[in-house]
Amino acid sequence: MLPQPASAQVSADDFNALKKTVEQMNEKLQKLEQTHAQDQQIIQQLQQQLGETKVAVTNAQQTADNAAKVQSASPALNVSEGPMHNFTIVGDAETQFGKTAGQHSSFVQADFAPIFLFRASDDVLFEAGFDFILANNGTMISDRSPGNTTTVNLSFATLDYLLNDYMTLEAGELLLPLGTYSERSAGWLNKIPDNPLARDSIVPGTGVGVELRGALPIGASGQSLTFAGYAVNGPSSGATNSIASASALDLNGNVGNNGNWHGNPSGGGRVGWFIPWKPHYDFELGLSGQSGQWSDSGNRSWTAGVVDAALHYGPNIEVKGEYIKTWVGSDDLGTIRPNGWWVQGGYKLAGMGLELPYINNFELMGRYDYLNDALGTKTDRYTAGLVYYFSNTLLFEADYEWLRSHGPAALPPNSFILQLSYGF
Amino acid sequence: MKTTNRLNSLRPARRSGIFLALLASVIFAAPIAFVVAGDTNSPPAQVEPVKPAKNVAKKKLTGAELYQINCNRCHAERYPTEFTSAQWKSIVTHMRVRANIPAAQAREILKYLQQDSGN
Ligand code: HEC
Repeated sequence: MLPQPASAQVSADDFNALKKTVEQMNEKLQKLEQTHAQDQQIIQQLQQQLGETKVAVTNAQQTADNAAKVQSASPALNVSEGPMHNFTIVGDAETQFGKTAGQHSSFVQADFAPIFLFRASDDVLFEAGFDFILANNGTMISDRSPGNTTTVNLSFATLDYLLNDYMTLEAGELLLPLGTYSERSAGWLNKIPDNPLARDSIVPGTGVGVELRGALPIGASGQSLTFAGYAVNGPSSGATNSIASASALDLNGNVGNNGNWHGNPSGGGRVGWFIPWKPHYDFELGLSGQSGQWSDSGNRSWTAGVVDAALHYGPNIEVKGEYIKTWVGSDDLGTIRPNGWWVQGGYKLAGMGLELPYINNFELMGRYDYLNDALGTKTDRYTAGLVYYFSNTLLFEADYEWLRSHGPAALPPNSFILQLSYGF
Repeated sequence: MKTTNRLNSLRPARRSGIFLALLASVIFAAPIAFVVAGDTNSPPAQVEPVKPAKNVAKKKLTGAELYQINCNRCHAERYPTEFTSAQWKSIVTHMRVRANIPAAQAREILKYLQQDSGN
């Protein structure tokens, strides 16, 4: 006989015990699953924290890098001790060397341009910029007297009163926000040593008067809408008689200084839109204008309109430019329309990521500019340049300019310019 | 000498000056109204292309970020250690005015610069 299988004889007790064990195991399993889910959550949190830590480390590294770079950068002029606590001197200095076709090469000029900042209180700042220029007379075509000429100019001098978070009132000798060039052209800022032609000949860079300016932030991404409105002594007439001939327009003349044929002050303004989308990537567009009377004779007016734009596409690419159009009323030629534009691009070779010595300190420059003086002379110019950064504010610039000019006031042809600029 | 002439010249000019100032205020009031209206109705349109987290758009930009966005678009970056804390206060005020930087942003930038400023 076969022995009876043991399994057949499971007692109810045994069964219940077994059932209980299974139930307990089930419970444990559930708990384990729960714990597992919690663990997963914790892991996720840890991963997130790790990510944040990485970002923090990167930032810290950047700061450290910056700090390291500074050691080789310019030393600050320190006048912040003692009673002159709120007084700071900054500024820039340049030396230029030039060679124009058909002329001898020479050191063209040296320029020392200190800026004095005096912070009278949290809301009041006085800023004044001077230009000490030593120019070689040899390069002045009209006056070939030997030696040098030293000139001292006041570039700007304003009292700034911060009315509130969005508005500042400025009074004094203003850099005009007519386009952006004159407000942003200190020597170490400029990557090409000379100004675009149109900037030097059809619009004024400064004016004496008052200005209300400011900015409104838009959203949380750093965008802003900027504005400036001003009234200044505008361009005037350099004529010695009361005829408003077009050639008598004096852009830098100050209305009201002599005689009666110099017109009234003018008013102007600019609105700008600054759109950054991440650090080093931004676009700015501005519209500005100024209008006023430049000669009392027949109430002749002078009006200018400027469109400016600037783009940064990463830390190594910059493109900017301006289009300028002016309207000049005159007794002899009716309304003439001097106009011009310029566009400038820069590319820092660091963008190529080459591991070669020095190469990352170079920036390639290119500019095109055009000027039509509406008195018969048209000029266009191509500039190719190279900037070498010894530090963030010590720049060496070399530029070659191809210039074509036709008309009664034609400009000298191609030239070569070297410049050393330092900002402090 | 210049000053007296300048003052004299202001008188006949007052009318046109006032007119221009008014004109300017109208031109500038329009965008202000637009921005104020825009602020309440619409969420910030920009979503930052920063990788890790999803809800960055609402995050306020830090002083360091604002410094990176604003302080090297007109000129090469100036490093915090180049100037003292007091000098930075004057310089950032100077830049706030020159570059039309909204005050709240300028304050954050100043804090950032002063943290690592030279002495
Ligand atoms: C709109 C263009 C612009 C922007 C944006 C700008 N700067 Fe400047 N910065 C200038 C100009 C122009 C100068 C030259 C001085 C002058 O012309 O008054 C200058 C000069 C300086 C100087 C030299 C000292 C001085 O006060 O002249 C420092 C430092 C400086 N800027 C730091 C900054 C910092 C920090 C920021 C960011 C908050 C900044 N800049 C943003 C245009 C700009």
